[in-house]
Amino acid sequence: MTLKTLLTATAVSALVAGAAQAEVKFGALYPFSGGLALLGEESFRGVELAVDEINAAGGIQGEQIELVRGDAVDNNQAIGEARRLISREDVKAILGTYSSSRSIAASQVAELSGIPYFELGAVADEVTGRDLQYLFRTNPTAETMGIMTIDMILDEIAPGLGVEASDLVIGVIHEDSAYGTSVAGHQEEYGAEKGLNIVTVQGYPSSTVDMSSLVLDLKDRSVNIVLQTSYQNDSVLFLNQSAEAGFEPDAIIGGGGGYSLTATEEAVGALMEGVLDVDFTQYAVNTEFTPGLEDFLVAYQNKYGEEPRSGHSLNNYVGAMAVLEGIGAGEGFEPDQIVAAVKAIDIPAGETAAGYGVHFGDQNQNDRAMMMGMQWQGGKLVTVYPRDAAVAEFQIGD
Amino acid sequence: MDTFLQIVANGLMLGGLFAIVAVGLTLIFGIVKVINFAHGEFLMVGMYLTFLLSTGMDVHPYLTAAAVAPALFVLGALTQRLLIQPLMSARDEHVQIFATVGLSTALMNLALLVFGADIANTPAHGVRSQVMLGEVRILTGQLWVFGAAILLVIGLQLFMKKTRTGRAIRATAQNRAAARLMGINDKFIYILTFGLGAACVGLGSSLIAPLYPTSPTIGTYFVLIAFVCVVLGGLGSIPGAFFGALVIGLVDALSGFYIGSDLREAVVFTIFLLILILKPSGLFGTRMNLSHVSP
Amino acid sequence: MTDTTSMTQASGGGLSAQKLGLIAVAVLLAGLIAVPVAVGDEFVYHIFITICLFAALSTAWNIVGGYAGQLSLGHAIFYGIGGYAGVILVNLGISPWFGMFAGAAVAVVAAIVVSWPCFRLHGPFFALATIAFLEVFRVLALHFRELTGGATGLMIQLNIGWEWMVFRERLPALLIAFGMLLVCLAVAWAIRSHRLGFYLVATRERESAAKAAGVGTVKVRLMAVSISAALSAMVGTFHAMYLTFIEPESMFSLQFSIQIAMFALIGGIGTVWGPLLGAVLLVPITEFARGALGSEAIGLHGFVYGVVLMLVVLFLPNGIMGVVHRFTSGSEKTEGEQAAPVAAAPRSAVPHEAGREVMRVEGLQKHFGGLHVTNDVGFTLREGEILGVIGPNGAGKTTVFNMLSGFLKPDEGRVSVLSPSGEWQEPATPADFATLGVGRTFQIVQPFAAMTVEENIMVGAFHRHPHVGDAREAARETAHRMGLGPYLNAEAASLTIGGLKRLEVARVMAMEPRILLLDEVMAGINQTDVRRAVDLMLSIRDTGVSIIAIEHVMQAVMSLSDRVIVINSGQIIAQGDPQEVVRDEHVIEAYLGKEFTHA
Repeated sequence: MTLKTLLTATAVSALVAGAAQAEVKFGALYPFSGGLALLGEESFRGVELAVDEINAAGGIQGEQIELVRGDAVDNNQAIGEARRLISREDVKAILGTYSSSRSIAASQVAELSGIPYFELGAVADEVTGRDLQYLFRTNPTAETMGIMTIDMILDEIAPGLGVEASDLVIGVIHEDSAYGTSVAGHQEEYGAEKGLNIVTVQGYPSSTVDMSSLVLDLKDRSVNIVLQTSYQNDSVLFLNQSAEAGFEPDAIIGGGGGYSLTATEEAVGALMEGVLDVDFTQYAVNTEFTPGLEDFLVAYQNKYGEEPRSGHSLNNYVGAMAVLEGIGAGEGFEPDQIVAAVKAIDIPAGETAAGYGVHFGDQNQNDRAMMMGMQWQGGKLVTVYPRDAAVAEFQIGD
Repeated sequence: MDTFLQIVANGLMLGGLFAIVAVGLTLIFGIVKVINFAHGEFLMVGMYLTFLLSTGMDVHPYLTAAAVAPALFVLGALTQRLLIQPLMSARDEHVQIFATVGLSTALMNLALLVFGADIANTPAHGVRSQVMLGEVRILTGQLWVFGAAILLVIGLQLFMKKTRTGRAIRATAQNRAAARLMGINDKFIYILTFGLGAACVGLGSSLIAPLYPTSPTIGTYFVLIAFVCVVLGGLGSIPGAFFGALVIGLVDALSGFYIGSDLREAVVFTIFLLILILKPSGLFGTRMNLSHVSP
Repeated sequence: MTDTTSMTQASGGGLSAQKLGLIAVAVLLAGLIAVPVAVGDEFVYHIFITICLFAALSTAWNIVGGYAGQLSLGHAIFYGIGGYAGVILVNLGISPWFGMFAGAAVAVVAAIVVSWPCFRLHGPFFALATIAFLEVFRVLALHFRELTGGATGLMIQLNIGWEWMVFRERLPALLIAFGMLLVCLAVAWAIRSHRLGFYLVATRERESAAKAAGVGTVKVRLMAVSISAALSAMVGTFHAMYLTFIEPESMFSLQFSIQIAMFALIGGIGTVWGPLLGAVLLVPITEFARGALGSEAIGLHGFVYGVVLMLVVLFLPNGIMGVVHRFTSGSEKTEGEQAAPVAAAPRSAVPHEAGREVMRVEGLQKHFGGLHVTNDVGFTLREGEILGVIGPNGAGKTTVFNMLSGFLKPDEGRVSVLSPSGEWQEPATPADFATLGVGRTFQIVQPFAAMTVEENIMVGAFHRHPHVGDAREAARETAHRMGLGPYLNAEAASLTIGGLKRLEVARVMAMEPRILLLDEVMAGINQTDVRRAVDLMLSIRDTGVSIIAIEHVMQAVMSLSDRVIVINSGQIIAQGDPQEVVRDEHVIEAYLGKEFTHA
């Protein structure tokens, strides 16, 4: 036994969970511990279900897929785990990551190693704005989200209220991490482009325990449309404290995060009625537009014994399915073969379980990715926008 | 003007909230002289206990304080006995801080393990209803918190001044060695004080839980703010912590409105630094010798 | 692994513990490079880069947190500044090799601004202040988006090459991280083994005694903080290049700051090699725990981590180095009686003549609140004179002493000292007094407990001899003169009270003072020691040093003093020849009460 193998055996294998027999490995890099663990895990479940489905159908290129988990608990760790997946586990590609900052950090590593990296859930623009060769993103971005919010105001809210869009007084508030900041930035920019009157854009830390001053500020400015990009705690706080301050805007449009979660609705009860939400495709949607959604829900229920906690699993599932099937149609698992295979993917809108199509365009961003406009009606989050995906009427005004 | 009054009212109510957390901390920080980073997690544990008891037995969350406060007393006393006391003689006082950091990490992750990252909602049982004071809107629950904070301060103050145990605690705080010579069992006093501080935050958590969603990380926000209140009020001064909390509540609310909600933390911490540097005895503190804190 | 065992076996018996330790460190450092190169695995490279990174940051932190004893929990400020400076400059086309120095410069400025006002804060307060500063920095980094990119952070272009610190292969990154670790260790080691290190530890242990020994306590702490900040910033620049992406949340993180401090704590706070050991041990354990537990259940890993931290703190409160120390030094304990004879030179038979005036004290007044503790105290001291100061307890003798050495500022009146060049000066601070050659002892002994006897005396000796070798030489000489020779390597804390009193005098003597202020150096020591001390003081006087001594031991005062001052209730009630003064009825009254005056 040489020194090298000895060291390898002791120093390294100890760090690595034992590997099962599998023919082709893919890395799944998500935050599985720490503050983002809940939705990181939820996102991972989507990938897991996609892999189960593909393996049950015979795998890709005749080989079964094994997923190797990596825990991206912070940026340095995201880099370390990406390295481990690439060098120790010898994965052919990495799927991930839910968190934008960890995605950015880890994908730089993959790029330098020449391993394809598929982002299925992180929304920050910077993920695909870097001219990377091996990075692909299937999910819609912060920009999609910002534009969708503004379009919804122009197409549905202003007509529904019977006023000119430019007469609406709009306030944008957001939690101050990368997620809220970039969505709010696009809302501000695109809103101004469309001639909307955005009177204030304010960030706040999502861990805050008091938003009353912010609410009073909005009230003071006579804001009647509020756009909030937030997590759970701050969504609850804002809705509660608005009601307490007697602040009743004509419309509240949440940006994903807390606004898509049932627990938020349980926390605020009736205050949630009529609140709008722009996010990844959720579950109450016109399934003619999202074929495969029902099967996904059944598979989810069977595997985990509960309802999905948010749409993250669905979107990761759709992204993983598209990418893995695309690779399956290719000629091998070498990086350049994978890249060639996924670049050939061409799924039109309305043919995936999330509704949107998949096609990698400029900067390897899926240029068919889109979000959905939803509304809380009778305690359920139903899709109301765009019309062809809607399962319920857009309710606005009285 | 109405808006201004409303902001002031909000600030005071927020101050009441901070106060009920800070009063417990001032006992621990001011008397045992330990930076307890786990104080926020004590609050978090209390809020989860309140949630479990009030949903499990379907009782008003306030009633659960009868069980939560004693439970937290035990948690606090055990922390002092098992974690802090063995380190009291360590050459380096820093180690106590890291011990409480470890406790904080462990408790927070234990909550994550048991309850998941999702928020838990304690039923409001009517404390979210509003009362109008003139044009100003306030939640009944906020008023209860505020009232409880005042009663807690008065109660603790009487306890400290009038009872034998209270006087022993104060004596130990002022001079541990002298107190020991007077026959005071300082170890017992510290255990008692730590437990008492934790019990205060336990009481607070039963009052806070119906107002705020509970999550494993709720404590992290409160703990730094509570330290700010304690230092502002003067180390070890119970009424000081209360008034310090009111000041911070007001600063927080006013700066959130007039300066911007993204900068209010910076404003609060800048004020804290100015006080620490310019008047380390605190706004309301009596002259206290800081050298008691470090040998 | 095989290497280590063979080496220790081969060289076991003959080598001293210190040499063995150095070899162990060298092996450890070599392993940091050798293991990843031998394994050749990218993930192992990453782990070892992380080890080097944390070890370097922790070593830099230790200069402030350990040597200077200022518990900073905001060190990510400097690391973050370095990271941001590096990335911003790289995006302007400037290499990080320059960027890291720019970052270091900004960090030094920030360090001085942050710490100067905080130095009067001790222990927990200093820690809280640094946390508050960190929070302010984080919020500002979020707020000023034009500069920092705000919450979305900043990225660097992936320009590959040494000039950009970005590489495809991992070895160069490891080499840079390792190089930075070596620089940090070298700086930390250099500080610890030179004057600055002695001054820092002395300041940490006993601030007032350090001041009396002529240490500019604020200055040395600022130097420590500046050096530490510069090193942290440079490591921050490298880490930013390694991450290729930075954001306020991760660069100005409290968690991260605590982690840095924790490695030092677990390795052994205040020791040169402790932080390195801490990182080498903990980083792999953390990674292993994450790998093994992270995927089991959300929160399990963090829970175990927290529990382990508590256990480590409970069972290894002095860190790994504490354990190492216990093993290596167990046998070296100094044994034996500590009252070795004082090697005082035989007294010259010639009666002593006092020389010119060297200190003038005029009209000192001092109030503490409503208490008038010093009332119009004035006298002069001549060259080569021993001036005894006596008076009942609470008479205000020590207060006068504090004003004579710069520790207290008189409300009125002045103290002037004749400088070596013959001018009269009015020093204000302890450092000024020390510079003019005024040395003092403290009534309650103030040893630097964490130092050996030799090192204690060296702190004084540095005043005249800036180089370690000279200072050590001078300290040994002084120690032998003071009868402390056999205990040079003993911990100061292990001395008896008599030994400590002598150490107190030795430290001042090592400063080679021209005027010596002795505050009850004979209180609490036995008769033989008193006699020796008297001889010693006389021999000191004979070298031309002027002495003012507060004493309670009358026998000593009478046989020593050329002149005596009696202070009662803050006033001088009598002065003059010792024999006459003790017959003065005011003095008897002050000491024994009125009824004895006519007895």
